[in-house]
Amino acid sequence: MAPGGARAGENGRVPPAPSDSKELHRRPDESMSLLVDMWTNALDPGYAAAAAGRQATGMSARSRRGGPFLLVGLLAASFLVVVAAVQAHTRAPAAARAHDRLVGEVQQESQAVSRLAGQVDDLRAATARLRDDSLRGTTAGARLAGQLAGAELAAGTVAVAGPGLRVTLDDARATQGGSGGNQGGSGNPPNRVQDRDLQSVVNALWAAGAEAIAINGQRLTAQSSIRQAGDAILVDFQPLRAPYVVSAIGDPVATETAFAQSPAADKMRGYAQLYGLHFSYARAAHVVLPAAAEEPLHAAKPLANRSGG
Amino acid sequence: MIVLLAVVAGVTAGLVLHPTVPLDLQPYLPIAVVAALDALFGGVRAWLERIFDDKVFVVSFIGNVLVASLIVYLGDKLGVGGELSTGIVVVLGIRIFSNAAAIRRHLFRA
Repeated sequence: MAPGGARAGENGRVPPAPSDSKELHRRPDESMSLLVDMWTNALDPGYAAAAAGRQATGMSARSRRGGPFLLVGLLAASFLVVVAAVQAHTRAPAAARAHDRLVGEVQQESQAVSRLAGQVDDLRAATARLRDDSLRGTTAGARLAGQLAGAELAAGTVAVAGPGLRVTLDDARATQGGSGGNQGGSGNPPNRVQDRDLQSVVNALWAAGAEAIAINGQRLTAQSSIRQAGDAILVDFQPLRAPYVVSAIGDPVATETAFAQSPAADKMRGYAQLYGLHFSYARAAHVVLPAAAEEPLHAAKPLANRSGG
Repeated sequence: MIVLLAVVAGVTAGLVLHPTVPLDLQPYLPIAVVAALDALFGGVRAWLERIFDDKVFVVSFIGNVLVASLIVYLGDKLGVGGELSTGIVVVLGIRIFSNAAAIRRHLFRA
């Protein structure tokens, strides 16, 4: 223990010397006086200075009322305000008009896109019908038609129906949002379904013997991609919204058994427990999958010795 | 009287002449208006405190508008135009607010 000085209190603090206490007394917010200054010196100091000047020259310190300066200043100020008001008034409808026009264009174009997509579907059906009609005439044609149908079925370019399995994945509910473990920043919070979850589920379904798969009505083919762009999961560049329903056609019992034992299902069950993701699957007696859009191959050519086929 | 006359003349001129603000000057218009409002409120407060001076009023008005526009222009050139505009609006807004409070105290004694 240091020997306390005569003025040291029991708690060891030396009280401030009375002589310099006044000089040392500063406002606690002195370093942040900007706002205080702005508040207290709101009036232009020029007015006080001018009043003091008038007093010094013997005139009354009272207001110097309007001369031409006041007229000019007020005129300019009110002019400026009115011009700005008029400007805002005339510009706002223009902005709204441009916005409305853009919205209208977007709606119109998306209608055109869906109309054209419908036309494509119709034309595709028409060509298929014509092709089948023309092939049906001969035995060789009939064989070709059979081969084509099989190839189309395998390629996923025709709508199919049958018994199968429905796997449902969904993000964790918002109430559990904050508790999601190692929240990996912006990109992929663990309480949301990721593209790789869907990929592994789809791969497990293929491995379990599924013959055709679609996610939220997007048919998967050999050329399909499942990937993430920002917050959205894209399947063949079409953004999907949760919940994700993966519908697969295959022998229901065998597919379900194999899928239930797959590592992907194990992993998803673990995620469901850890992060509150929703993961379930059920057999379905009748699953209808739409046709995938046909993607012609441009670069790939069949090998020469198979081309006769 | 002269006040009313000037304001009416300014408003009519703005409405009648209907000037189109050049596109280059449009970003400075809102800031200029805020600066003008600051000068106006300061002038009214000075009037009520009986220290109004028309020269100070005009000089502070023109100076405020010019300086505010200049700062925004500089900010635009430096790439911080939005932030500087926000700063000006905050500073002038506080001044307008406290001047309005002083005017209110003068008028209503409350």
